[in-house]
Amino acid sequence: MTEAIAAEQLGKVYANGVEAVRAVDLSVAHGEIFGFLGPNGAGKTTLISMLTTLLRPTHGSARVEGVDVVERPEQVRRRIGLVFQRSTADEVLTGRENLEIAAGLNGLSPAESRPRIREVLERLDLTEAADRRVSTYSGGMRRRLEIGAGIVHDPGVLFLDEPTLGLDPQGRAGFWEYVRELRARHGMTIFLTTHYLDEADQLSDRVAIIDHGLVLKTGAPASLKEALGSDVVQVRPSDPNSGLRSVLERIPGVRAVEPAPVDAAIRVRVARAEAFVPAVVRACDAAGIELAAVETRKPSLDEVFLSVTGREYREETEGNPTNGPGSRARRAGGR
Amino acid sequence: MYREFVTVLRREYLKWARVPIWVASSFVIPVLYLVLFGQAFDLDRLFPAGADGSDYVRAALLGAPNYFSYFAVGMVAFVTLTASLYSGTGILFDKQLGIHQRTVATPAPRSALFAGTLAFRAWSACWPAFLAFGVALAFADVPGLIGLSVRPSVSALGIAEVLVAEGLLALMFTALFLSFGYVLDSNEAYFGITSLLNLPILFTSNAMFPQATMPPWLQTVTAYNPASLAVNVMRQNLFATEGYPYPPTLYLLGLLAWAVALIALALYLSARSLRVR
Repeated sequence: MTEAIAAEQLGKVYANGVEAVRAVDLSVAHGEIFGFLGPNGAGKTTLISMLTTLLRPTHGSARVEGVDVVERPEQVRRRIGLVFQRSTADEVLTGRENLEIAAGLNGLSPAESRPRIREVLERLDLTEAADRRVSTYSGGMRRRLEIGAGIVHDPGVLFLDEPTLGLDPQGRAGFWEYVRELRARHGMTIFLTTHYLDEADQLSDRVAIIDHGLVLKTGAPASLKEALGSDVVQVRPSDPNSGLRSVLERIPGVRAVEPAPVDAAIRVRVARAEAFVPAVVRACDAAGIELAAVETRKPSLDEVFLSVTGREYREETEGNPTNGPGSRARRAGGR
Repeated sequence: MYREFVTVLRREYLKWARVPIWVASSFVIPVLYLVLFGQAFDLDRLFPAGADGSDYVRAALLGAPNYFSYFAVGMVAFVTLTASLYSGTGILFDKQLGIHQRTVATPAPRSALFAGTLAFRAWSACWPAFLAFGVALAFADVPGLIGLSVRPSVSALGIAEVLVAEGLLALMFTALFLSFGYVLDSNEAYFGITSLLNLPILFTSNAMFPQATMPPWLQTVTAYNPASLAVNVMRQNLFATEGYPYPPTLYLLGLLAWAVALIALALYLSARSLRVR
């Protein structure tokens, strides 16, 4: 048993014919933090639901710690912890009671769970609030309690579905710390879905980019970015029909030139963006092209997403659907 | 299995005990029925001794010393019904809040989850009924109120039969309303159905009115109504056995059949709602 999570050609077609996840191959090593990145509706929740035995795949197979999710779901459930997007704590119960219930449902005796709960509360900075009702908790405390319920039985693999949805940047950064600590202390394998680029980038050892139910790219964030091989300079002319593209293509050191998705801008891939900007300005001056804007960007997962999907990434917030690709995908595969 | 059962039982208890208005209302409502309705609506006053039809009414009470006593035992069944009416709401809310899904993701045996919920909810439906019974008995000592009088020689077996009847009735109604919780997704649909069922179950039983005074078609329905079966067991043991076509044990068997059928249905629906699709 070498992998914590393995999936082969895993897919789900809902009864209404919607293909939410198509033929996903996946391999997550023990102790790895694996990020599953994609816009809302890309199929992330469907995938995590299949891996955690909440949904039955319609094709392919998946194993968690070597156990098949379809053939032995009970055995899989004993090995995993699951943290949902929403808070699932009982509001009128205290934080400690909620953890006791979670431990009991995972088959722990009170004697086994007591020291475990104490430790979890401590680690998640909830000891002081442990005997207060959850209804008095802040958003960040609720998220931490949710993790607590997911790890109270010391699972080998922890699944986190959009764990920082609705948290402020500070809360998210704090949350990442807890996740890193979990891995560092317990060697827990952590599988998280997120639609936040920075979360996937900073937290994950490896990420898989999913869109329209397909995994488009997998790799370490750094190597995915490096694979693009270049910085980006985005140049926007005042006149969309200025012939800017051919001017840029002639500048020495240009690796690639492609249209940017907005405002007739052109993207140029170069080794170092800062050094390239003066050359752009000079060349455009010489050609008599007036520039409206020049932006430089270091490669980000955004760029990786763009290069594999051919379109800009949009981080949608819940309840605020845009007309972007994510919302189209949400309609197609939304759950 | 046992551990998970106790965990569910504890969760249900904590949620119940932490909402005082819930606890209070389940105890106050039966008392209101007995104080407001029971004291005002009294067939003994409507048909005083010697008036036309009074003998017929007395005979229809099948040995109960007065109408209030007859009614109070019927109220025990009705209070059990009203107290179990909202058993399924916890399931509904758990589904809506994602708690249900979290539970599915645990290795807890499905039957333990169901049994824990059923046991607690049935228990919490029994207590208001016992309270109603106790209050009705106490009324006999309050000047100006009519109270429940039972025959002085109720046997231990009789008390056991009354308790079993109450337990089976609570389990049966709880299973029925849990089923709606498992099947339905909307609160409106749940409350619509439960309020629709509440009064028909009462009025097609002999909880308030003697079966003998009903039209024949209603008598047939009433004879099979589980509330009637439970009430028959209780009245036979507390008042008199004469006038009933069957002994208490037979009514208990009928009640057991209802309970087994409805618990099986609820168990099936609970497993279906927890099943992975």
